[in-house]
Amino acid sequence: MNSDFDEIVSQQDEIVPSSGFVASVMEAVQQETAAPAPIPFPWKRALPIFGAMLAGLVMLVAGIVELFRAPEAFVSAKTAAFSIGSVLSAADKSHTGWVALALGLAAFSIFFSLRFISGEK
Amino acid sequence: MSATEDLADVERVLAGDTASFEGIVRRWQGPLVNMAFRFCNDRGRAEEMAQEAFLRAFRGLASWRRDAAFSTWLFALAANVYRSELKRIPMQSVSLDDIAELMDKRPHFSALEEADRSQIVRQAVLGLPEKYRDAVILYYFHEMDVPAAAQSLGLPEGTVKARLFRGREILRSKLPQLLGAAALREA
Repeated sequence: MNSDFDEIVSQQDEIVPSSGFVASVMEAVQQETAAPAPIPFPWKRALPIFGAMLAGLVMLVAGIVELFRAPEAFVSAKTAAFSIGSVLSAADKSHTGWVALALGLAAFSIFFSLRFISGEK
Repeated sequence: MSATEDLADVERVLAGDTASFEGIVRRWQGPLVNMAFRFCNDRGRAEEMAQEAFLRAFRGLASWRRDAAFSTWLFALAANVYRSELKRIPMQSVSLDDIAELMDKRPHFSALEEADRSQIVRQAVLGLPEKYRDAVILYYFHEMDVPAAAQSLGLPEGTVKARLFRGREILRSKLPQLLGAAALREA
């Protein structure tokens, strides 16, 4: 069977490229060469943002870790009589402020990244 | 001869002489268009795919390491382009089951014209699962040279051999009459 199969598949008709093929490829190549070089990524401008993102991430992780290490802050907040004071106290104990700051930084960096991408200044 | 010319043209292109790329296109247009044709069975699309392969070659010319032949590098790059293109826009192929069903409905299939028979087998090859199809196409494109097919696919020879074997097995199970009758006629 293999020899028959080999014979059939090997005998595929050879096609000759059309006469304008080379010209068409070279035109595409010339266009490629003439096109302006891609704009390099603005590392200098992006570095502070990356730094902020990293710091935000670290703070977020630290906040989450802290949350798991000291859950009693939430428990006490739940069981205690509801008052703004107790909520603020619980928030302070669980470093909610840090978490909020980290989230804010992350949102800030995303906002600026999107502005860079869209080309706005 | 061709290898020397390829090297000289590549050096010139890398030095900034874009027009020298034309020599490469002239020398390799036939093989690249024909390889594409085997993947898509459509002349117009084959030229489009070959053009894309040449463009990619132009962009990546600096990545050709001189330890492999230029043709080996070019064929591997082209095979990658063609496989990606077929993934992006799959061709209209007849499934193997449909082909087998069609054969069952034709009681006098032995009277099929030779051209029809070849066309059906080629359609069947194109209807194989991708990994077997690629191995079969490149094996026959490289005139039944397993190492060359393996280089174009970037796979070990053993893997290519296994895929070839499996591809043939699938075809044998799907087209028993078509392939079997021809073998009987030969015997």
